[in-house]
Formats: sequence, C-alpha cells, structure tokens
Amino acid sequence: MMDIGKILDLFKSELVVINVGSHTFASALEKQGYTAVQVDWVPPAGGDKKLQEILKIMGGLH
Amino acid sequence: MAIYVKIEKNRYIDSLQTLFTTALLNDHEGIEIGYVNMANTAFKEVLRKEEMLLPEIEALSDADFVMVARCTSQKLFDEAVAAINKDAFSVSTDRSGTSFRTIQEAKAGHPEANICTIAVPGEYVLEEVVKALDAGLHCVVFSNNVPLEDERKMKELAVEKGLLCMGPDCGVANINGAALVLASINNRGPFGICGASGTGIQHVAAILHECETGISQAIGTGGNDLKEPVGGLMMQLGISALEADPDTKYIILISRKPADSVLEVLLKKIGSCKKPVVVFFMGCDKALIEKHGGIFASNLDDCAEKALNLIGKTFSLDTEQEIRALAGKIAEGVNPKQKYLRGLYTGGTYMDEAMRTMEPVLGPVWSNAPLKSQFKLENSSVSKENTCVDYGEEEFTKGRPHPAIDPSVRRPAILKEAGDPEVAVILLDFILTPPGHMEPVGYVLDDIKTAMDMAKAEGRKLVFIGTILGTDADLQNKKEQSEKLQEAGVVVCKTNHTASRLATEIIKILKERA
Repeated sequence: MMDIGKILDLFKSELVVINVGSHTFASALEKQGYTAVQVDWVPPAGGDKKLQEILKIMGGLH
Repeated sequence: MAIYVKIEKNRYIDSLQTLFTTALLNDHEGIEIGYVNMANTAFKEVLRKEEMLLPEIEALSDADFVMVARCTSQKLFDEAVAAINKDAFSVSTDRSGTSFRTIQEAKAGHPEANICTIAVPGEYVLEEVVKALDAGLHCVVFSNNVPLEDERKMKELAVEKGLLCMGPDCGVANINGAALVLASINNRGPFGICGASGTGIQHVAAILHECETGISQAIGTGGNDLKEPVGGLMMQLGISALEADPDTKYIILISRKPADSVLEVLLKKIGSCKKPVVVFFMGCDKALIEKHGGIFASNLDDCAEKALNLIGKTFSLDTEQEIRALAGKIAEGVNPKQKYLRGLYTGGTYMDEAMRTMEPVLGPVWSNAPLKSQFKLENSSVSKENTCVDYGEEEFTKGRPHPAIDPSVRRPAILKEAGDPEVAVILLDFILTPPGHMEPVGYVLDDIKTAMDMAKAEGRKLVFIGTILGTDADLQNKKEQSEKLQEAGVVVCKTNHTASRLATEIIKILKERA
C-alpha cells in the first residue's frame, strides 16, 4: 500500500517552489503569482569531470 | 552583416538557461542568427558549421561563456547583450535578497517550500533529486537524458518517502493551479490527470478548460515511467493519490502503450479504483481496458470527450461531413499544379498524430521522423511530395532551444515551402506556456502574409491551417493568438486531429480533380 499522506498535504497547501537550474521556470511561476526560490546551481568542480573524480576519491565532493 | 562576440571567461551558465537566452538573443532587433553557450567542443562544432567560429572563440576553454551573433551593427549587438544581462541573468533571489547555492540551503531558508523543479544536465539529476527528496520536497524533473536505472532509483526513493517524483523528462505538470515547466495555465475542476505524454496532458486539459471545466491536478510522470525498467512507479502513486484526493472526482490516464508487465499492474489498479478512470493508452486494446472497468479512449480528442461525457458535457468538433464540405470550399480556386501539403510542426506528438491521420488516405508522408523508415527525408530542409517536419527534433535543437520557446528555428521554412509551386496546404502548430515565446503567432504573421501574397501574384492559392495548444488563461491568450491567425486568412482548427483531417481532405479533393 502506497503512503499518499504527504501528496494529499501538498494538494491542500500553498505552493512554494524551489527551482534548481534555469531561472526561466522560476520567472514563469512568479508571473503566475506563485513564490519561487532560486537555487543558482553550478556543476560540482565547475563541470570538470577529472577534478570531480579526484574530489570523490578524496571524499571532498558530496 | 558581421559577426559580433561577447566573451566572459570563467562564467558558468547552465545549459537550459543558455537555450532560453539564445531565444532572447534571436528575438532582438538586428540579430540574424545568434547563439549563447559555454565554449565547449560541441558548441564550437555548431559554430563551425554556421561559419561563426571566430579564432578568439576557438581559443576558449569549456569554463568560458560566449554570446555570438550575426548582426547588422555593433550597437545593436551591444544592446542585445545588455538586455540579456538585465533580463535573463539577473539573479533571482528570495525576498530577503538571499541567493541560494544548494537545495538544502534554500529549504533551510524557506521551510515552507514543498516542491522542487529541477533542470540540470542528466548526469547530475539523480544526486539533486535525492537531495530534494531527503529535504521532504516533491520533485518535477524537466531534465532528460537521465539513465533509466537512475530514474528507477529516484522513483523508488520517492515512493518510499511518499513523495511525487514527476519526470525525468517531465514537460508538463499542473499542481494546485500552477503551470509547472512547459504546461499551460488551466481552470481547476474535477478531473485529475496522470500522464506520460506532456503534449497529451496539455491537449486534454486545454479542451476541458475550453468547455468551462478543468483539472484538480495534472501529474506528469515523464515519458519513461511506463517502460519496463521503471515499472510505472509514478503512475501507480499518482493514481493512488488522485483516488484519495477529495477534489478529484474523475481520473484520466494518458500514455503511449505501456510495457506489458507495467500494463498488467496498471489494469489491476484501474480495476480496483473507486473513481471513474478514462484511459488513453495509445495502441492499447479497447476490450482489455473495458474488461478492467476503464473507459476506453481512442485518441486525444476522444479522451477529452469521454471525460466531458462524465459530467454531461460534450466538445463539439466538426463532423466528417462538415470537414469534407469545408475542404471542398477551400479547394476552390487552387491551381491544378498545387497538390501537396507541408506540415511544419513544433510538437512531435502532434506531427505523429497528423501523419497517422494522413497516411491511410494520402499514402506515405515524408518526414524527418516518419512512420515508416523508408520515407525519412534525406535532408530535412528539402521536402518531397507530402511532407511533415518536426522542428523539435534534435537536428534542429542542437545549441538552440525547442521551437515552443524559440520559434526562429521553424520560421525560414514558411517562405521556403510557400515558394514551391506544387504546395497547396501548409500546416502550423503553436504551443502556449508561461516560459514560452510571448508572441508565437505574431512572430511568423508577416511571413504568412508575404507567402500568401507571393502565391497570389503567381496565380496560386496557398492554404494555411493552424492549431493552437493552450488556453485563454495562458499569458499569450489562445483567443488573441487565434484571432491574429484568422485575420491573416489562416484556417484555425479546434484540434490538431481536425486540422490534419481537413488538410488530408483538401489534398484528396485536389488529387481527384487532377
């Protein structure tokens, strides 16, 4: 049996959105009158794959 | 026309944002064609093909950011860059002026937040979704190119926590009245939709809106949810939630045909559901759906109609007889040399539906994504006989946004097709959504008028048929967009299926006449 209590809570609540990535989706929600909180996401280690691997091995990338 | 460039070293802009920004750049006065991206190898390749790869761009690294355009003057290019920096890159913050670097920080700053939209490159999606779910947030994942095993993992975690994980590859979701990602703005009402096809959800919801009813919630599961490795986890959770939701009186399910094992699970769920369930699983057997108590729908229009019937309403579409009569009237005055149609689509689902409507009557339709592989166009910019082209396909969107956001990718095709003396009908679709282009019709209106005038001057009658996916509540307003098309002489049809039926009948009449 799936627990759907939290989904029913969402359906009853005021929507507050955290937007990760492109600002465009946050702006589109604000235009509709909803609250959008922006996370200015950047890839780990600036997108540098080699550096990400090294950091992972060193335990520095979470 | 010279090439101008603006470089910013060591500035990261995510890929989706660069696509939206490219759309803004291409909209600016004086810009013939422009691109915005990180200076990675793939982007340099795109610029090389466009003969825009200046030596200073070639010398850049992946960590550098570039705006480049063919433009009429340095002044106009500088103005475009300034406008983009102001409009697209002004950092969105919360009311206290704080900007957040991570989901955890944002949730700590806004404990009332309850849902998270995620649009990051596919390889990073799993870790961001896990962070959001761990923070107790429901998720809408727009990103695509997420491995199926990652999708399975994030959905198992979501189910375990009792949270929604809509997507990956979720194009459309409406929660509590908000249009998320690329959805339309809809009325609220008694219908809860759960679907794996974004366009399908948007189409049915728009018809419900037009008939003065609406949706309680629309849960987009993402296109891969009903595949074997993912097991329909989100559609199962969605059905359970909609069944328990007091504001949802009826449930609508929309998808391509699910994998057999997934279909079996879903049919059981439909069978035990206490609310009426309208089911459109493309290509699924009617008897099978009905045996499990579902209300069978044969296509998207029928899906909306079956839902409306539940509340004693109906969506009046043109009858076959009316379509034939209108086609006969439109075909009058068409030059005998004009005998083909050209469909220029921004929505792949719509092109697919159109070709399935056309082929049984007209024979094979050439396309960049044909129904049968032997009718694939060698060059998508060179049409043959009856042709449909999807401008949302990857070949057109490499380094460019989807045409719903940046319609410039489809624009040149209108005058090109209109210049072909054998073309009688041009079909166009337009998609409305809050992040989309604010004037999708206005953007091509001059080209449509020029095309009609050009044809007339050459003794031809060119027929334009258009459809608009969206609602009057959308920021672009469907009614206003539709009126602009009609004023220009475009035949506007209520649905994509009707538009393709009408086009098919016109071509059939012209063929018989010849």
